[in-house]
Amino acid sequence: MSQEEPMLPDDEDDKRLMGLVAGGDDDALRLLVHRHHARLVGYLRGEVGSQATAEELAMEVFIRLHRAASRWRPEAKLSTYLIHIARNLVLNEWRRRGRKPTTALEFAAEPGDLSQGSARRVAELDEAFQRAILQLAPEQRTAILLVVQQELPYEEIAEIMDAPVSSVKTWIHRARARLRELLKDFYAQE
Amino acid sequence: MDNPEQTPFDQELAATLRRGRAVSVAGFAERVVVAVVAARRRRTVVRWSSALAAAAAVFVALLSLPATSEEALNRQTFALIARDESAQLADLFGAADDLSLLAPVAERPAVVETFVSPGS
Repeated sequence: MSQEEPMLPDDEDDKRLMGLVAGGDDDALRLLVHRHHARLVGYLRGEVGSQATAEELAMEVFIRLHRAASRWRPEAKLSTYLIHIARNLVLNEWRRRGRKPTTALEFAAEPGDLSQGSARRVAELDEAFQRAILQLAPEQRTAILLVVQQELPYEEIAEIMDAPVSSVKTWIHRARARLRELLKDFYAQE
Repeated sequence: MDNPEQTPFDQELAATLRRGRAVSVAGFAERVVVAVVAARRRRTVVRWSSALAAAAAVFVALLSLPATSEEALNRQTFALIARDESAQLADLFGAADDLSLLAPVAERPAVVETFVSPGS
């Protein structure tokens, strides 16, 4: 598993590929999955805190995408549609199992060429942040992940979350405030 | 999102979350295609089995039910109307509209007797 970014998605090419997928072209599906899965798994891992569950849910997202390919209308970007499905699956999963995101975190920072001391601090910070994010309310967690991690605009987040932009902004504001509170020991000097 | 006015907290939050932004999984696309092909096969099998089951049910019905033409159905309907079984029942009893036949047989309670004939 590597953390590299795949080639940038091309919306027009996504539409063309979706047409092919609807016609039963498995190579087109393979290309779409290759293009979008990394960000989807990244987002899902932020939501559920587990790599295995994130991959399982991402797999289900693509299976649903394939099933809906013939009915899909390119009104939104495919990446938006995928995250929309993913979020619904996350909500269903919690409802079904009556569980919260896992607390056994699997996040490991990749220190690169950092010195041992800073690598340790990065790892500690990563774990503290991820633990805090998993304690947020679901709407706040989704909103903060989409705006900070996935760098999506408010309008797109509102579309994904089926909510007005004003609610999205409120969730993000509350998420930041809650995270600051949860991590106050790290940032006492601010 | 890289705002120079961001606090260290905001910067750390952004840095931490963006480290996990994209997680490429080797062989993931292939796994999805395999799952989709399997699901497609399952759907085909289910579709064919339902079609075969429906066809078998129709075949059995054709064999076991007597062939009834529209004309035969009309004849049966007219025969039923002509027979009019309720009228036959009335004939049997001779006084089907005499409701006394249907009245329950019960003794009058003593209190009713008192009110009916208070002088006696």
